[in-house]
Amino acid sequence: MRPEDRKYTKSHEWIKIDGDTALIGITDFAVNELCSGNEGDLVYCDLPEPDRELEISETFGEIESVKSVSDLDSPLAGTVVEVNALIEEHLEILCTDPWDKGWLIRIKYTSKDLDELMDAAEYEEMVSQEQH
Amino acid sequence: MTDRWRLLQHFEAEPGFNMAVDEHLLGGGQFPTLRFYTWKPDALSLGYFQRWTDVPAAEKAGVVVRRLTGGGAIHHAEELTFSFTAPVTHPLYRGPVRDSYERVHDAIAAVLLEFGVHAELRGDQVVRSDVANTGMCFHKSTDLDLVWDGGKGLGSAQRRTGGRVLHHGSIKIGRTDLEPGISTLRSHASELTPENLAKGLRARFPELLGMEMEPDELTPGELARAEARAEHFRSSSFLHRR
Repeated sequence: MRPEDRKYTKSHEWIKIDGDTALIGITDFAVNELCSGNEGDLVYCDLPEPDRELEISETFGEIESVKSVSDLDSPLAGTVVEVNALIEEHLEILCTDPWDKGWLIRIKYTSKDLDELMDAAEYEEMVSQEQH
Repeated sequence: MTDRWRLLQHFEAEPGFNMAVDEHLLGGGQFPTLRFYTWKPDALSLGYFQRWTDVPAAEKAGVVVRRLTGGGAIHHAEELTFSFTAPVTHPLYRGPVRDSYERVHDAIAAVLLEFGVHAELRGDQVVRSDVANTGMCFHKSTDLDLVWDGGKGLGSAQRRTGGRVLHHGSIKIGRTDLEPGISTLRSHASELTPENLAKGLRARFPELLGMEMEPDELTPGELARAEARAEHFRSSSFLHRR
């Protein structure tokens, strides 16, 4: 079961609210789609600079695996206040711990409409359907 | 239900235009699209994240563009380029990225056999075409790449955005000075042309990939949009973005 303390998007990002900020990352499912468990398949991650303002669904970064470039989209509107500097040098963290050490950005959100997002059970259901 | 695909072909098309058409197709479309094309003039395409300085051949190539897809640089000469664009939920692309490569590469290998080429996924083989520090796609292989005669002969890369995927591939027909040591089809099929190769792929893909292809042309609006956007892919700002 995935963590129940956060919300999930159809494009496999997770959002964890922390006061007036939110952490955003990508799920284990997204990571596995990119690298199928091979840590070395993740080669590059481009994340935004702090202070960048994001709209809902705006692309805030890109991640490259050996065979694909994929966008990272923000589920919330707000301002980037912190970027996980560890990730760009240690992409393997996304494989080993996508939920805690593998967070990507922290944003100070201006909207907190999470109704459209899925909870862990709903995300599990969506992922199980994608796998069949 | 029939899996209907739009088929586009642009032989000897301008390099920036080629990238602009694929960008447009990645943005959406009623049907998934398979596109075959070649380049005039010959050009080198950088992978989306590559630094110009990491690809020495970029200084030697007359024309350079940057792709939206990842991976290494490709010299588009003596080859056939293909692009698939489809929703990521399409059966060809659903699931892990690796699986989608296997599906497409297995189909292409089956077609290449008809040209006398025994292509296979590289797997754990050591190939002679791997060369360090050139930044060229064909000089860096992965286990999913198609190889024959001990070298890489098909280069490919994907871009996934907005719930859609763009899958680029280059099948080498002949040798070029910028990519020494790679495998080509012409050593098995001396008269092979990009047009003939595209014809062979078109003929077998419906059976191999379960698709029905509808030959089509870009609409006047699509054509105008791609022509207007072509400059972006060869612009200094995009070429030197890293």
